[in-house]
Amino acid sequence: MAAPGRRRLAVAVAVPVAAVLALFVGVLATREPAVNRKTDSPLLDQPAPGIRGETLDGQRFDLGDLEGRWVLVNFFASWCVPCIQEHPELKRFSAEHAAAGDAEVVSVVYDNDQENTERFFAREGGDWPVVTDPQGRVALDYGVARVPESFLVDPDGVVRVKITGGVEQAGLDELLAEAGG
Amino acid sequence: MNAAVGSAGVVLGFVSAAGGIVTIALGLLGGRRGMLRQIVPFVALVALGAVVAVAAMERGLITRDFSMAYVADHGSSKTPALYNVATLWSALEGSILLWALVLAGYLAAVTAKFRHRLDDPLVGWALLTMFAVCVFFFGLMLGPANPFHTVAVAPLDGPGPNPLLQNHPLMAVHPPMLYLGYVGFTVPFAFAVAALVTGRVGEGWLVETRRWTLFAWAFLSAGIVLGAWWSYEVLGWGGYWAWDPVENASFLPWLTGTAYLHSVMVQERRGMLRVWNLSLLCATFALTILGTFLTRSGVLDSVHSFSESAIGPLLLGFFALVVFVTVGLIGWRGDRLRAPGRIDSPRSREGSFLANNLLFAAFALVVLLGTVFPLVVEAVNGDRLTVGEPYFNRMTMPIGLALLFLMAVAPALPWRKASAETLAQRLQWPAWAGTGVLVLAVVLGARGVAPLLAFGLGGFAAGAAVRQIVLATRRQGWRGFMGRTNGGMIVHLGVVLIAVAFAASSSYDHQREAALDPGESVEVAGHTITYLGFEEDTSDPAKVERRARVRVDDDGVYEPTLQRFPNGSQEIGTPSVRSSLVDDVYLALLDPPASDGGPVRLRVIVAPLVMWLWIGGGVIVFGSALAAFPGSRRRGTEPTSALVAAGRDTSPVARRPGAARPDQERPERPERPENEPIGVG
Amino acid sequence: MADQPRTAPAARWVPWVLMAVVVAVALAVGSRPADDATEEDRVRAIASTVKCPACSGQSAATSDAPSATAIRAEITRRVRRGESDDEIRGYLAGRFDDILLTPTSSGAGGVVWALPVAAVVMAFAGLAFAFRRWQASSPTTASPADRDLVARARTGGSPADAHGEGDGR
Repeated sequence: MAAPGRRRLAVAVAVPVAAVLALFVGVLATREPAVNRKTDSPLLDQPAPGIRGETLDGQRFDLGDLEGRWVLVNFFASWCVPCIQEHPELKRFSAEHAAAGDAEVVSVVYDNDQENTERFFAREGGDWPVVTDPQGRVALDYGVARVPESFLVDPDGVVRVKITGGVEQAGLDELLAEAGG
Repeated sequence: MNAAVGSAGVVLGFVSAAGGIVTIALGLLGGRRGMLRQIVPFVALVALGAVVAVAAMERGLITRDFSMAYVADHGSSKTPALYNVATLWSALEGSILLWALVLAGYLAAVTAKFRHRLDDPLVGWALLTMFAVCVFFFGLMLGPANPFHTVAVAPLDGPGPNPLLQNHPLMAVHPPMLYLGYVGFTVPFAFAVAALVTGRVGEGWLVETRRWTLFAWAFLSAGIVLGAWWSYEVLGWGGYWAWDPVENASFLPWLTGTAYLHSVMVQERRGMLRVWNLSLLCATFALTILGTFLTRSGVLDSVHSFSESAIGPLLLGFFALVVFVTVGLIGWRGDRLRAPGRIDSPRSREGSFLANNLLFAAFALVVLLGTVFPLVVEAVNGDRLTVGEPYFNRMTMPIGLALLFLMAVAPALPWRKASAETLAQRLQWPAWAGTGVLVLAVVLGARGVAPLLAFGLGGFAAGAAVRQIVLATRRQGWRGFMGRTNGGMIVHLGVVLIAVAFAASSSYDHQREAALDPGESVEVAGHTITYLGFEEDTSDPAKVERRARVRVDDDGVYEPTLQRFPNGSQEIGTPSVRSSLVDDVYLALLDPPASDGGPVRLRVIVAPLVMWLWIGGGVIVFGSALAAFPGSRRRGTEPTSALVAAGRDTSPVARRPGAARPDQERPERPERPENEPIGVG
Repeated sequence: MADQPRTAPAARWVPWVLMAVVVAVALAVGSRPADDATEEDRVRAIASTVKCPACSGQSAATSDAPSATAIRAEITRRVRRGESDDEIRGYLAGRFDDILLTPTSSGAGGVVWALPVAAVVMAFAGLAFAFRRWQASSPTTASPADRDLVARARTGGSPADAHGEGDGR
């Protein structure tokens, strides 16, 4: 051919374009639906943000006082259905570890008023500290997007695990064993 | 009953489309041209199948046939008639059904239009392509997107469509418009494929599909603007465009389609850019399919997305098929189709079209990249990141400004080459118009370089468009508005209105959230907003409405509302907007009073010029309609242009194949460089 | 306007120089920041670069979800405390996963910024190169390959169809 450069231009463009598109289709084909994606937190392996405030029964609470023990920081609201579902699991976890003295549960109220929260605990039970967070500062410090969310804080006060959605006692114990081991 | 009839319609459509493919393939490959003429009954049956299926679905919705799964899931006995009909496109399966109906309509229209040329292989391949697309969409309805499933035990009532989809009449018109646009691009795509396969890229088919492309483009534009308007009137956050994946999915084909409508003129006029134009048509169609995949597969998070479903892989497969077939065809044929020729100067009409195409391609690249980038990054290293509104705004702003500038300059450029003097003379008054707008904006208190540039360049571009229209009407009277050249200028005016309104409303809006007791007022950007009282309305069985009565300045009471539909636990807000040509006062009710006579929490947004977005949309549609009429064929020459263009036309490349044939119906004049600016289509 | 009498070349550019001066002055005046920006405007500007953690793709400026409301309240507090925009965004990014709406310019996020810019620069460079080549080659010397292509294009499709348009249009 007299002008090979001209001849081959379309092929020279089409081949790389096809390659890029093949990669692109490959990426799209292997994506999971957006809803199933895991959530990370920049807080992992960082010191847990402090929680200082009042509990439901008017006492002073400071997360620092619990150093030396595992703490499950649980964010919840009485209007949230998965929170109601996870509550018995929390109770079991709390009871089990209160006896052993190695782990504590702390609940933080998320976007909820005192009255409804009190009613929630009266109905569902649970005897661990419930920190009111009237301005949502604690939830913000922990980066809570939607309840329920829970954080496992180790005895040195470092965040080790973030759980979005409801928790289960067995799963919590497993996480505890993993993180502690 | 309805379900059975509907299913029969879908099967009929599928089988007829498949039969159409076989018939055409036999005719084309076996060289039996006579068979190509036998295609009409297949087309009729595909159309019949689609109509029957849609009619069965609408009948099911209207008669509240809850034995149909679609009606049981998305219909309700309480939904008002308008939204009940619109329920057809409020969920995934129904939207595919609407798609199939529109597609069948286009197929029938193309067949009717080309009825005398059915044995032409070019038309044959185009129809074959359209049948193949039909097979895919009817196939979807036989597979994972079957709209005619039945339920074993019919419920007494259904939940109704998503509350957001049944509280504004725009929802009844916006999706059909969008689909007329989306699906319409199938027609030029089919002819592009046919041109590639047959190797015939003369402008004959181009001229004939140009109006189809223009038609699809106008509907897509209208659909996009109406979608923005719907968001504004319904979603309650005071915005109309958020670079959401679903919005981007509709915007991408618009960008490539717009690029095509411009660059096709270079092909018609100079015979160049053929392969590029074919590529743009293929890309436009592929992007409509990609958008459909992105919005219906659940891979992207979006407020508008359909529920996740199994049709994702099929749509992706179809996208891959379209892309690889067309890229393969272009790679195979492209070099033989390329036209010899050159562009004499960047300072020419064709040079400006090239720049225009580069900018539109860059625009599309930014939007596409921003939309899918999170998926790509996650695939590469597992990181999650978000590409949101600020990215799109920052990246597209310079491209948009550059396009406004081109819009101002290009109409004044003659084909081939312009001298600086000509340009300076033709652009002087438009440039003064732009300067005037800029100075006026500064005097009125507008600040910030980017919006000011948008105003100035907008004024410049509008000046250039008005100059063209004035020149044309002076010469031709009222016909000066017609034809694609002058209709195109009207479209430009609409685009300028939208650009200026976008810049103003997004740069100079003011927002307040205020808790107000009854009788209390708040001042926002010079407007006094007074909360008068609250009321609850239970008169409508379909919903409970709680309204705040709010007075804006001294002229009227507005009622931002919270609505609760009996089936949905979610309460949705409906904002209330006082619109004027100057600014909009947008009121959204955030929290109702906790107790009787207590304070409400309101969001008040004051944004200037919002109304001009919708007016601009109307102007675009109007201009597109004018552009569809053939313009004047009168010859006329401006002395200055003739001087510039003279002496160049003897070059052999100007006498290219496929140049204007005298008998060709073309709304343009071979040697009239002035007043023949960018048109649309 | 199109039929203006021809003026001397130098005089023709006078209005343009004047216009450039006017535009430059207007832009200089207009580029000063607006003085009516309120604290709320600044809060909203920051919130609009941050995602609402409980929503899909909406910014914290526009959502009414509790977390978005809390984020706006926190931004307000920090604005009053005199923190800079980046400090506030940094605080939020240290708490929430994937909360910024703009990818950072370092690492993988840089690609999304750089790629379009690189593409545009390369495309315009390619265009400039093409124009130079076109200008260098004289229009009267079409290469044999060009003529070959013209001939082929003329006879492409059916032999009688010089324009490749098919018959019976």
